[in-house]
Amino acid sequence: MTVSAKPDEQPTTTYEQAREELADVVRRLEAGGLTLEESLALWERGEQLAELCQHWLDRARERLAAATSGDQPE
Amino acid sequence: MARKVAEWIGRLGEVWVEGQIAQLSRRGAATVFLTLRDPAADLSVPVTCSRDVADRPGLELTEGARVIVRARPDYYIARGSFSLRATEIRAVGLGELLARIERIRRLLAAEGLFDAARKRPLPFAPAVVGVVTGRDSAAERDVLVTARRRWPAIRFAVHHSLVQGPSAAASVIEGLQRLDRDPEVEVIVVARGGGSVEDLLPFSDEGLVRAVAACRTPVVTAVGHETDTTLVDHAADVRAATPTDAAHRVVPEIGEQRRLVDGLRARARHLVGARLEQQERWLESVRSRPALADPQRLLHGRADDVEQLRTRARRTLVHRLEGAERDLEHARARVAALSPAATLQRGYAVVQRADGSLVREPGEVADDERLSVRVAGGRLPVRVTREDG
Repeated sequence: MTVSAKPDEQPTTTYEQAREELADVVRRLEAGGLTLEESLALWERGEQLAELCQHWLDRARERLAAATSGDQPE
Repeated sequence: MARKVAEWIGRLGEVWVEGQIAQLSRRGAATVFLTLRDPAADLSVPVTCSRDVADRPGLELTEGARVIVRARPDYYIARGSFSLRATEIRAVGLGELLARIERIRRLLAAEGLFDAARKRPLPFAPAVVGVVTGRDSAAERDVLVTARRRWPAIRFAVHHSLVQGPSAAASVIEGLQRLDRDPEVEVIVVARGGGSVEDLLPFSDEGLVRAVAACRTPVVTAVGHETDTTLVDHAADVRAATPTDAAHRVVPEIGEQRRLVDGLRARARHLVGARLEQQERWLESVRSRPALADPQRLLHGRADDVEQLRTRARRTLVHRLEGAERDLEHARARVAALSPAATLQRGYAVVQRADGSLVREPGEVADDERLSVRVAGGRLPVRVTREDG
């Protein structure tokens, strides 16, 4: 299952899906036994997923900050 | 005709009537005039009696007192008015009163008016609170002041009613029903300060208790002291100990609610924040794993392999080449050895027939046959002529 959207577009994959796949990619890379071509492709895939997860978490952090900053000072 | 009526009424005979003294006047020297009221039936009748009947020792006639009267219907021709001529008046004692209340309680309880299942929960924050209470009474002040302090935005619909005496019950019922009809009123508080059993009697009046039970809007009663219970308390959805307590139950305390909400919000935010942080740490750990963080490792690992492979490849190649050259050498040597050229060089010649086959026996060749002789320098076409030899 690949991520069809670039991180800046609205990603069609949920955060959990991206995270699960990233974990899987790392597992397979570490297991080795891949052709060079496969390793490279897998590594690129890993980077893309990591970027996506990062994107999600940054946005979540922004939304949380926005909610917090929305408070009137008590 | 008036005389006929008077005669006819005169023949009615004596009757015992029970009720509450609504008005009492002792203007007349000899006779005492009073009005007897039946609150439940909302009826009243004028009663006259002689002074000694009214002033019988041990009987203090006061307005609001419940009495039983033995009287004879009387028609006063001169003014055409009907009244009861009382010959004996007896106060209804406290024990009697309580017994009467108990009878009503059992009756209404049997009808299920007091069942717990009928009790409705109070609205959390009502927009309008209906209040039935005495005008400018302490009860009114307690309810309003306390409620406003707890929930400043609260609005009231106050109906001032009589809270004592024969027509109190009817007055409270009227207020209750008016507020019940008002869709904005979400809860009704019936509040009255403390009082004697007689004072609180209207709040055990069957009609009022039925009215409370019939209310569609939830009813909170705060009648009398904490220790008094009147029948309305049983019919109400909530019985408050005091008017102030009623305010506490009807309206939430704003500060408390705000603290509650703020607490929940802070906890929610903390939970989300913690979850976010946990995910961020996870991502960081994953990204720092060599598999992702250091792709070169993948490559240079490969690079070494490639390097090794290359050198090995080269080495094997070199060997192979050398081997190949040696083989070539040998092959060439052998070819050279086997090749007729050297023999020819040494002066030998090869004779071939036309079909290329070699001549090894003179006998194979016929006279005059064309042959080809191959010497080191080249080929010589010849013909065979045999000479005796």
